[in-house]
Amino acid sequence: MECKLAVSMMHDYLDDDLPELQQRELKEHLLSCTGCRAKFKELEQTDMLMFSLMHQTPVASEDLVGRIMNSLPKPKKERAFITWIKRHPALTAASVFIFVMLMSSVTFWNQDRQLVVRGTDLDQVVIKGDTVIVPSGKIISGDLTVENGKTQVYGEVNGNVTVIDGSLYQASTAHISGQVKSIDQAVSWLWYKVTNMFSEVAYR
Amino acid sequence: MENLEGRLTKLALKGDQRAFAELVELYKDKIYHLAYRMLNNRHEAEDVVQETFLRVYRNLDRYDDKQKFSTWIYRIGTNLCIDRLRKRRPTYSLDAEMNDQEGIDGYSMIPSDNVTPETELLLSETQSLIYEAIDSLPVKYRSVMILRYLQDLSLQEISDVLDMPVTTIKTRVHRGREFLRKKLGPKL
Ligand SMILES: [Zn+2]
Repeated sequence: MECKLAVSMMHDYLDDDLPELQQRELKEHLLSCTGCRAKFKELEQTDMLMFSLMHQTPVASEDLVGRIMNSLPKPKKERAFITWIKRHPALTAASVFIFVMLMSSVTFWNQDRQLVVRGTDLDQVVIKGDTVIVPSGKIISGDLTVENGKTQVYGEVNGNVTVIDGSLYQASTAHISGQVKSIDQAVSWLWYKVTNMFSEVAYR
Repeated sequence: MENLEGRLTKLALKGDQRAFAELVELYKDKIYHLAYRMLNNRHEAEDVVQETFLRVYRNLDRYDDKQKFSTWIYRIGTNLCIDRLRKRRPTYSLDAEMNDQEGIDGYSMIPSDNVTPETELLLSETQSLIYEAIDSLPVKYRSVMILRYLQDLSLQEISDVLDMPVTTIKTRVHRGREFLRKKLGPKL
């Protein structure tokens, strides 16, 4: 075998790309040729060093993930609202108060439990303690909104069901034609209040 | 059957930020490592990681999950590194030689949680020699060698990442290895 071919085979061997038969041929050449043997040793050492060194991982700054996530374009509505809150913490607290005051004047408010039930067809609804029940067989035409309570739907709601800071149980017999929304977080709850108030004002 | 990355990209596409954060967690170290070895500079490497994920985010809808996610993200990261190396001015590369060899430059002298005594000890003379040798490789060999040794990518995978024929990759690995051997051989 010529040395030139042997060198090319050495590389293929290190690439894990040399068939077994040729591996044997290479081995035979290496046994008989000191020059190639020395070269192979150097190549193999270089290869091993590269592998071992490249597997020492440098560590990026701890805040890198945060920076990456913050650099991403965000859904516009949410971002505008959240940055506004962050920028005006005192104002926000005041606004919450004002919103709550305004809402209490337009909703049915149970002072004892602070359970708020809002809807267009409330006489079909049964309220037991902090639980709002739509009994099976009953049909509510319109939306139903429950704050700070448990909601159990057995019958039909021809509208949206919104649960704020509470739980929702839908029986197998339940049928809700509109959207079902559960709002827990303070921010989305606030957002809900704001948009809802504006639409209510607009409809008056 | 759908892979994890495919599921996460779909969720992220629907606006699930946590799914995207998961992808960042999975790949940030790999891309950082790649960029750090390519550019030999911490700050630039972090910039590249950030830019890579921003591009991934913007092009999520173009990701085809028949393709390996790693191939896609490595391609974006490698191309960004190559662009930066091309834009470096000759004067900059003089600085770069001084730049960011751990323990030498000012930046790494700043106490940091990342540089533990162990990692400092581990950086021996041999290591500095190897990193210097990698840094002196021409860019087209450097990218191939780094991909080859960094994540044990196969020749075929490197050819997918760089969008070049396998034969070209093979030649470059061989030449790159010869280059390193000649630089290091006498010193080993
Ligand atoms: Zn020979």
